[in-house]
Amino acid sequence: MSMEKTLDKALLSDWIAAVTSGGWQVHGPALEDGIWTFKPVAASVDLDYPNVKQAPKDFAFPQREIFFAFEHIKGEAPRLKEVKPEAPQCAVFGVRPCDGRGAVRMDKVFSDNVNDPYYQERRKNTAYVGLACNAPPSPTCFCKSVGGSPVSSEGMDILLTDLGEIYIAQAATKTGEALMAAADKLFGKMGAADKKQLDKVHADAVAAPQRAVKDAKGAPAALKAGFDSAVWEEMAKPCIGCGICTFLCPTCHCFDINDEMTGMSPLKGQRVRTWDNCQFPDFTMHTSGHNPRETLGTRLRQRVSHKFRYFHENFGMLQCTGCGRCVSECPVGIDIVAVVNKVAEHVA
Amino acid sequence: MINVQDIRDTARDLLAKGEVRAVIGWRAGSRGMAAEPCVVTKPEEADSLVWDPTCYHNLALQLVNDRKDLVHSKKTATAPIGIVAKGCDARAIVVLLQEHYFKREDVYIIGVSCENSGVLDERKVKAQVGGFAPSAAAFDGDNFSVKTAKGDKKLAGREVMADRCLECRTPFPKENNTAFGDDKTGREFDAQFAALARFEANDEAARWEFWQRQFDRCIRCFACRSVCPMCFCDECVVDSIEMKIAPETTAEEKANRIRWIERSAVRSENATYHMTRALHLAGRCVDCGECERVCPVNIPLRLLNTKMEREAREAFGFDPGASIGGPSLVASFRDDDPGEFIR
Repeated sequence: MSMEKTLDKALLSDWIAAVTSGGWQVHGPALEDGIWTFKPVAASVDLDYPNVKQAPKDFAFPQREIFFAFEHIKGEAPRLKEVKPEAPQCAVFGVRPCDGRGAVRMDKVFSDNVNDPYYQERRKNTAYVGLACNAPPSPTCFCKSVGGSPVSSEGMDILLTDLGEIYIAQAATKTGEALMAAADKLFGKMGAADKKQLDKVHADAVAAPQRAVKDAKGAPAALKAGFDSAVWEEMAKPCIGCGICTFLCPTCHCFDINDEMTGMSPLKGQRVRTWDNCQFPDFTMHTSGHNPRETLGTRLRQRVSHKFRYFHENFGMLQCTGCGRCVSECPVGIDIVAVVNKVAEHVA
Repeated sequence: MINVQDIRDTARDLLAKGEVRAVIGWRAGSRGMAAEPCVVTKPEEADSLVWDPTCYHNLALQLVNDRKDLVHSKKTATAPIGIVAKGCDARAIVVLLQEHYFKREDVYIIGVSCENSGVLDERKVKAQVGGFAPSAAAFDGDNFSVKTAKGDKKLAGREVMADRCLECRTPFPKENNTAFGDDKTGREFDAQFAALARFEANDEAARWEFWQRQFDRCIRCFACRSVCPMCFCDECVVDSIEMKIAPETTAEEKANRIRWIERSAVRSENATYHMTRALHLAGRCVDCGECERVCPVNIPLRLLNTKMEREAREAFGFDPGASIGGPSLVASFRDDDPGEFIR
């Protein structure tokens, strides 16, 4: 890492003020109505928190995006008006490593083979100030087994590590360096003792035991071999078909496009993109009424195969980052770790 | 206290004798503390059944799903289906029977009394242990013992029990084929509708401010609907799965298909969704509290549903899920109806 410095915890609010006056809207974790969410930060921010309930993918990929507005007055040509995203510069403080790796995967979807101008406009104005996980992992964390790490800086502009009285700030991108340079005086030099402590904290975090997908490397092949396995329906038996797993996921990105009418005379409305969800009954439904994924088992297979097989085939990496949200929040305990392990076991 | 082996033995016997084709119950979850719903079909699997304060789920939903599977696959049931049911689960089954969703003889109810306990509220537990998710829990009759990354902790039952259980008056499943545990009907941990009363102490402006914040936060994952045994419609008001498009369907017909609620998760649509659901559940909701438990963004949905329940109780003395033969709220009429306009 090119720039590694110390920051006295008491100076965090000063740094945030400097970033704010540099034209950034700073967001940080806030506990509202019992859940952790990223909210705009006015003065300071409490970074002593587990993780936000919803992955921060909505900074670049909001649940609702207006593409254009239309109006059709009878006898006249239809009028279209492009709606460009209002994308203020957002610096998000406290992003966890699983979600930083999620951002990398979202970038692939919306930038590698297609150019999604709405996503890209928002993404280029978003900076992630990560926070290494050096508290014990939650019982549902499994980032290590899917190629991640509790101290990964992948996808981050800066990675902060909490060393008690100070943070170590490590810039990972030019944007990150600029965010630190904006308040250069607040940061101190990372000495040999700091470095030693940082290495120890990181090593301890990586050593903390987690649940694991047993053979993540073999998962794409196992899922391919197990496509027609009877275990899918069996495992999906208690599934209620809600959308928690995918809406909270840092990498689920399916969307639907609808025309939402605001008036009928004259005909007026907006074309809107909203998140879609492979667990919903109308997902992949054909106009004929036929749905190739009618059962919950086939929908579970779609979700898991996308994470552990199709994405790998398309981009050469697993899509799942092991944040554990779909596991901890599932109303009936469907557990993607157990699902992948079980399919692998069945085809072995 | 119930000996879980009794439940297992019952399930095993029923399956072995072919008296039921499956038993819906709970087993230990793979992700940590919470149990998970399961369907046991072989006698030798009966020992996987568990009964503890993490058996949150209202299993009546699984009966609804089983019924849907049978209908969609055009199969006939070879034998009744067994179900382990708490007091609230059994009340939900009673409402489904009242509505003729299935027949009484289609179901074999293995009742389990919550006695002097109830289910844990994981949010309350987390709040007590510094935000850390617990990995195991046990109830000794008065206290819950939970294990967390920060060590073990003993928590008073009333402090971490779900609100729905604190307000529950029927912890014993009255409708059953066989039942385990003592009947503690009428027990009082908290006043009925206590959470609603606390909320209603706020003035109108504060209540509206509160609901705007809740509806703004809704992500429309529809978990509240999906987990609800009473939300059994094949096509929900928020989906559009019955609109079949044929070659002769015109563009106008497609464009004009009814969409009561748009896909966008914005306040107006979210509020319409939640209010529609609350009205559809009036007189049917048994306050199992599952919608509130599963909401990933902590919207206190019981407030909406218990409001309807209390209205029905105060206006008509109506008690949902009390008896199979009893009238339903919106499909019955009494000569002593308090509404002047209707007589």
